[in-house]
Amino acid sequence: MSRRKAVVSASRRHKLFLVATLGGLIALAASMMPAGASTVSPRLSHKIGGSVSVWAEWTSTEGQDFQAVLSPFESETGISVNYSGKGSNMDTAIDAAVAGGAPPQVALVPDPGTVVGLAKKHQIQPLAPVIGSEASDYGSAWNNLVTYNGKLYGVWFKGANKNTIWYNPAEFAAAGLKTTPKTWQQLIADAATLRRAGVTPFSLCTSIGWPVADFWQNVYLKSAGATSYNALAAHTISWQSSTVTTAFSTFAQLVGQPSFLLGGTKGSLNNTYPTCVDNVFPKAGVTPKAAMVFEGDFVVSEILGNSTNYAAGTTAAGGKKCTLSAAATPCFDFFPFPALAADQKYNSAIQGAGDVAMLLRATPQAKALIKYLGSPEAGEIWAHLGGFASPNKMVSLSSYPDPVTRADAAELQNASGFVFSLDDLQGSWEPSLWQDMLNFVKNPSSKNVTSIEKTMQSQATAALGH
Amino acid sequence: MAVAVLDRRRTPRAGRKDKGKGQRHLQSLAFLIPGAVLLGAIVIYPAIQTVRYSFYNETATRAVGLANYKSLFSTADTLVALRNNVIWVIVFPFIVTVIGLVFAVLSERIRWATAFKTVIFLPIVFSVTASSLVFTQIFQLDPHVGVVNAVVQTVDDWIHPPGAYPLSAGETVSTIATYGVAPGPHGTLVSSKAVSAGDAVRLGLTGINADALTVLGARAARTPVASAGSITGLVWRDFSISNPSNITSVYADEDGFPNMRLALLKSDGSTAATTVTDASGLFRFSDVGAGRFHVEIQASNFQAGFSGTFWLGPQSITPTGNLSQTAQALLSVPLIDISMILAYLWIWAGFTMVLIAAGLAALDREALEAAHVDGASEWQTFRRVTMPMLAPVLTVVLVTMVINVLKIFDIVINLGADNSGPGGQASTLASDVYNYGFGGGVHTGLASALAVVLFILVVPAMLFNLKRIGGNK
Repeated sequence: MSRRKAVVSASRRHKLFLVATLGGLIALAASMMPAGASTVSPRLSHKIGGSVSVWAEWTSTEGQDFQAVLSPFESETGISVNYSGKGSNMDTAIDAAVAGGAPPQVALVPDPGTVVGLAKKHQIQPLAPVIGSEASDYGSAWNNLVTYNGKLYGVWFKGANKNTIWYNPAEFAAAGLKTTPKTWQQLIADAATLRRAGVTPFSLCTSIGWPVADFWQNVYLKSAGATSYNALAAHTISWQSSTVTTAFSTFAQLVGQPSFLLGGTKGSLNNTYPTCVDNVFPKAGVTPKAAMVFEGDFVVSEILGNSTNYAAGTTAAGGKKCTLSAAATPCFDFFPFPALAADQKYNSAIQGAGDVAMLLRATPQAKALIKYLGSPEAGEIWAHLGGFASPNKMVSLSSYPDPVTRADAAELQNASGFVFSLDDLQGSWEPSLWQDMLNFVKNPSSKNVTSIEKTMQSQATAALGH
Repeated sequence: MAVAVLDRRRTPRAGRKDKGKGQRHLQSLAFLIPGAVLLGAIVIYPAIQTVRYSFYNETATRAVGLANYKSLFSTADTLVALRNNVIWVIVFPFIVTVIGLVFAVLSERIRWATAFKTVIFLPIVFSVTASSLVFTQIFQLDPHVGVVNAVVQTVDDWIHPPGAYPLSAGETVSTIATYGVAPGPHGTLVSSKAVSAGDAVRLGLTGINADALTVLGARAARTPVASAGSITGLVWRDFSISNPSNITSVYADEDGFPNMRLALLKSDGSTAATTVTDASGLFRFSDVGAGRFHVEIQASNFQAGFSGTFWLGPQSITPTGNLSQTAQALLSVPLIDISMILAYLWIWAGFTMVLIAAGLAALDREALEAAHVDGASEWQTFRRVTMPMLAPVLTVVLVTMVINVLKIFDIVINLGADNSGPGGQASTLASDVYNYGFGGGVHTGLASALAVVLFILVVPAMLFNLKRIGGNK
């Protein structure tokens, strides 16, 4: 079995907490792959020539994977692509480049807000002449995020999913759990069963606020629905409204049980990311300390970084039983964040992130590249390499290397609603929101929730001006 | 100053004064321009712009008056940073000066003084990022990694030996009692029913990991057999994979708890006998006599071992848990501040030592010898002669260190890591300037206001040092 490529994070936020270097990967103009291997669709196959510049956040392994996506395009069209990987500073870099008057022709940004913002300022081109009927390859939940004044301005190339609770199948087996929970009530009941079996149910990444915010946002999304979620994100509904209280009290069913949390409440507040992932999927020689951890699909890179022995799914390599020991045949898997509301329509909305391509200068080369990035062929190349999930419905699920990535991508494609992290949309009070969330973990009593909601309402009002 | 010198030379030649003066002014101006332009472009213009931005909103597009300054001094997030700067300024400069003084005095009296000074000075040569990485390991939560916790664990295990069945954090004996037992006083578990000779009891507990039992050599639990004159029983892991919800029966896939320490309590609560369970979890109190008893599972079984203190954690060492958010922000002293200060002392002690040692070397030896001749003791000489003569050097070192920690940033970002974000318990004014300026949740106005406040705080110390240096000339 070939060594799997590490699935590298698409999360901007967890990168923000690493001291990032701005060093960019300057793309090689010359193609390195033989043209014969390409699968570019016929509509692109006439030679255009010339060159196109493209910026995205991907560097190192991800940068190389993106280069592999670009290679067939270059050889088919004769266009040389100058790719520049900007790391976690992509949004700042593109804003600065636009302000400075020297933007790239095509850019992929991790924030649909950037796309809409630039569309308002007429700095990017509408995509209707480039992407025609192919727009319907994406769910409307995706397209709506990058539509301004009824015109589509972005094409989603890469998606990231936060609708995922990761669990160690061997720990579930040790507690006699044969299925994964489908509802929140079942999740709490399963946590109690794990606890009785002497397995700590949850490793909560709560030394810092953003993973708590991600968790809470899922609870809110699944209990109040995407419409309320977006309204809360825009602060058109109050942080003191009943939907917010419901989300807090639901989350408290988990957070309020110290024995469900690795290290109890106090220990949880010291459980850093990514150590919280390592506690469930440790390196060889260390016993797992908990059964489940919640975060987006970017945790896979951390799991495989701990040991390449980890098999995706509930059976280990060669059909063997999953083991607790990472030195033998350990496994990892996820289940979708369980349903909360009786109203099923709320449950297929998911929280996530993604990289969206936009057209800054409508040259023929840039248009061709946008068209290519929106095609299933481009997505399938990276899908084969691993660490990638496309929201494009035409990207064949069979092109994903394992059942876990396949399930992950299927969730993205079929999402009825798609929302971005609410905290990222809060501007300057985002750090305060994180602190408020930590304050909740410290003391999830309803009395404290009332005071937290009051604080959040005043912080949101002060920061957003309404 | 160059202009002043030229002026003095010019005075005698009064006749050509006007023209010459103008020319020379032009000349000196020409020489000044490159430097002035550079200074203006990279110091003065940004400084003015920063002050201007501090009155603007988060995207620096709309003037908001003093709003940024108001929120800076009223919201908990930035008060935390101000408080941390206060903690740093109060604690660090004084201690680092004292340590430097002690090292400097000691190094005068030992052989291998140069080697000693080199070793103490070495950390200042390392990048703070590298030093922080080292201290991240030293302060690690897991006692198998972090040397500080390893030491504490060794001492703690010696004082409170951990039991065979340590409870997980968040668990209490009441959460693990499932069948036939109820929580007793002081973390014990006591059989729910009173028992007498000839009875057999079953005491079921859950919440204990199967792996722990394998290590202890546990065997399958067996239903206890009653025996005349004795009280017999079973303490077992009341969790069956095949029947996870049944907590009354003993199943074939359930293990006994070996080495569980038990006591037999008389009705007045005193201990009649003690025993320990076998590999199958079975126990027997023989010849108990008449009367009714309770079987107690002793608290020492569940004593959790020391699992590490999170030295780099945000928890406060002052009791502020029940105060309001603002009061907490002002009055908490997070442990991470103390840990960072310790690491920073390690880095800077060598620097202050070298400065003070240089001061010591320049002291007037005659005064010291005179003191000795007059019969002053070592301590008296140090207190009454050395210290007063050294005072100017100590003041400069102290003030330099005050400026140094007012701007404290590198160690906060590196060692403070997760806690150094805005509102984080390790954050300082400088780290907030960076985070609001360039990090998550950008707020240009607030970042500029923070920078201005930081500047105003540094100015007095800076002026003091400038004046001293000027005075020395």
